[in-house]
Amino acid sequence: MKKLLISIVAVAAFYACTSKPVEKNTENVVEDTIAVSGLSRDSLLGSWVGNFTASESKDNIESSNKITLIIKNIQKDVVTGRSIVAGNDRPFYGKLIEKDGEFHLTLEEPGDDKYDGKFDIIFKGDLFEGSWESFNKNINVTKRNFKLTKKAFVYDATAMLTDKDDLTDWHNEKLKKDTATVDGKVEVYENQYYRSASDAVYKINSSMQELKESDLKNLRKLDLQILRNTIFARHGYSFKKETYRQFFDYVDWYVPISNNVEKELTSLEKKNIKLLEKFEKYAEDNYDTFGR
Amino acid sequence: MAFLRKLTRNYWYLAWLLAFLFLFFLMLRITLKYFPFNSDVAFLQIKQTEVNNVSFYLPTFYVHVYSSILVLVAGFTQFNNSLLKSYRNLHRVLGYLYVIVVLFFSAPSGLVIGLFANGGLSSKVAFVILAILWFVFTLNATLSAKGRDFKRHREFMLRSFALAFSAVTLRLWKVILVYLFQPAPMDVYQIIAWLGWVPNLLFVEWLIKNNTNKKIQTL
Repeated sequence: MKKLLISIVAVAAFYACTSKPVEKNTENVVEDTIAVSGLSRDSLLGSWVGNFTASESKDNIESSNKITLIIKNIQKDVVTGRSIVAGNDRPFYGKLIEKDGEFHLTLEEPGDDKYDGKFDIIFKGDLFEGSWESFNKNINVTKRNFKLTKKAFVYDATAMLTDKDDLTDWHNEKLKKDTATVDGKVEVYENQYYRSASDAVYKINSSMQELKESDLKNLRKLDLQILRNTIFARHGYSFKKETYRQFFDYVDWYVPISNNVEKELTSLEKKNIKLLEKFEKYAEDNYDTFGR
Repeated sequence: MAFLRKLTRNYWYLAWLLAFLFLFFLMLRITLKYFPFNSDVAFLQIKQTEVNNVSFYLPTFYVHVYSSILVLVAGFTQFNNSLLKSYRNLHRVLGYLYVIVVLFFSAPSGLVIGLFANGGLSSKVAFVILAILWFVFTLNATLSAKGRDFKRHREFMLRSFALAFSAVTLRLWKVILVYLFQPAPMDVYQIIAWLGWVPNLLFVEWLIKNNTNKKIQTL
């Protein structure tokens, strides 16, 4: 009887141990792991993060977005996964080739989205280096380069912007005419003005503390927008708007992994988002108008 | 219509009427945001702490909003001598309306919501003093008229209306300050809480002192 009990406990314990890792790793399946010059195909699996920088564009403006390539599955030489950049979450499918002791990946997005394209990647130990070319040649940016490092997404409620981050909004400038007298002549200049967030954005944690009206009253619209979107950044939301990408793309902890994180939000975060949205609307409608 | 001819000849008064009409319209538009009654609209959107925790805040706020627009009507008619002479009863009726609304509704409600003003202690003090002075000046003006001391009545009504007009000047200063300096919202609020009415009062004091006869009569 005692023996039977022990064996039941043992079986239960065995299930308890095995069920967890299996759940987590069902997506990452490597059929045969062949080591090539010390590199294993295992190490390709996971999320690769870095800057996705334009190298050929119609407007010749330098631009870069943070991209995550998730390698989900490698079966023989077939690779599947997703690319997430600027709010665009796309599946890809491609081939893995071993050449000169290196892994080469050619990955293609389906082609039914305007911004789909093809990645050419060389895997160098701890680096995904390569280029991307769009299928559609009529879009603005047709070629991009990247160097990606492996970084797993982890939700961290304590993650914050810091005083080392640039808090200026470079994408929503206002033009104002200013006059100055130079050598007795009055000249009119058109100056660009950029708004900047206050230090509140690295003092207030909108995922940890329940925000009160009094916490938000003295904040400008940009502060409120950043506080709200820091919640989304913590959950790995990939921003469609350049306004928000510029603040988070260069932050180490930020790993874009999805274009919909609604289900991941905690109840505290949902509450704070509601309040922040309300204050953003109030700031938008009232800050510079006749009223209060 | 002799007074109409007189009115249109008085350019200062005409200019005031047009400007005041425009500003009155802006204030009316703000008031109309509170129709129909809604506990979470316009200014109240950032006042939910008070709306939810202080039972008398919301009714008092609405008394202030709905009553105060009536107060501004006085700006059209009460400070013109030709109108006063030709239509004494109109002056009296609108005067009573002004006095009753200020003393029983606008000023007391202003005092109460002033205690919960945005911008901390400094703006609370500003709005509370404003409400008390407004009440005192209006009461003084009324008693003077009762006592047939019309010089004093006119002086105190000028003071009273200068404070009533702070509803407009406070919002004008806000637009100007935000345009020039883009300060944080509550920093502006602390400034306009004082800037809205102190210069107005100084202006009428100057007017009373230097133009006891001429300008007040023409304005």
